[in-house]
Amino acid sequence: MVRFKHRYLLCELVSDDPRCRLSLDDRVLGVLVRDTIARVHGTFGAAACSIGFAVRYLNAYTGIVLLRCRKEFYQLVWSALPFITYLENKGHRYPCFFNTLHVGGTIRTCQKFLIQYNRRQLLILLQNCTDEGEREAIQKSVTRSCLLEEESGEEGLSDSGGEEAAEAME
Amino acid sequence: MPAPATTYERVVYKNPSEYHYMKVCLEFQDHGVGLNAAQFKQLLISALKDLFGEVDAALPLDVLTYEEKTLSAILRICSSGLVKLWSSLTLLGSYKGKKCAFRVIQVSPFLLALSGNSRELVLD
Repeated sequence: MVRFKHRYLLCELVSDDPRCRLSLDDRVLGVLVRDTIARVHGTFGAAACSIGFAVRYLNAYTGIVLLRCRKEFYQLVWSALPFITYLENKGHRYPCFFNTLHVGGTIRTCQKFLIQYNRRQLLILLQNCTDEGEREAIQKSVTRSCLLEEESGEEGLSDSGGEEAAEAME
Repeated sequence: MPAPATTYERVVYKNPSEYHYMKVCLEFQDHGVGLNAAQFKQLLISALKDLFGEVDAALPLDVLTYEEKTLSAILRICSSGLVKLWSSLTLLGSYKGKKCAFRVIQVSPFLLALSGNSRELVLD
């Protein structure tokens, strides 16, 4: 009835440099997004978006970020994300960009989307991988995720599937 | 015999004008400060950028006329940006460290309305 409604933006950090994802930190990211909103939308945008703003989930291995903002101003946050061009950590600048995958009203819908997305990414990785050892590892992850789907309704935010895939890639 | 059916056509204009025109005047606390037209426009854009950021600093804003002696101007802004421009003019406090304020004299969606102001009407 009467509650504060939020929008959860599920984004993926895309970068050439593999060290960029590992240097992701939720405080650093929060400051970066706030500064970008202040630059793009001014003092009004910075004040409006920073009330309900939080970094809810961060996965350094896959580069998945879940941002929360108020429903009235989520478009200001969403439109400021393409203006983030680099990530700065300990004096090193890594060029990167944010790809918004999904906008949801609750964390649960974003979680459901992320599980389906990770499954599809595993299949794409399976097609593209060249090494035999990698191929076996990815096939194991795919069968495991399918088995889990048959057993129970949902698995958790599939960190393990994503991690194995990321390790298999490197 | 039945009467022939009449056809009606109803035309509704919600707000046909895309632009709004504002007559504004810039007042400084100390006298003797002069701005040329380019500096005036730069001041307007920096006011917009301060409050609403780079996206709204790029709103299509035009200074149609500018008088350097009285520091008054007629601005044209698209209708969706009127509220943003007006609020950023309200909150502008200083230019190069000197205190100033914008006085909005008249706002209208039609340029012709700015030529006559009933407030300045003098009755004989």
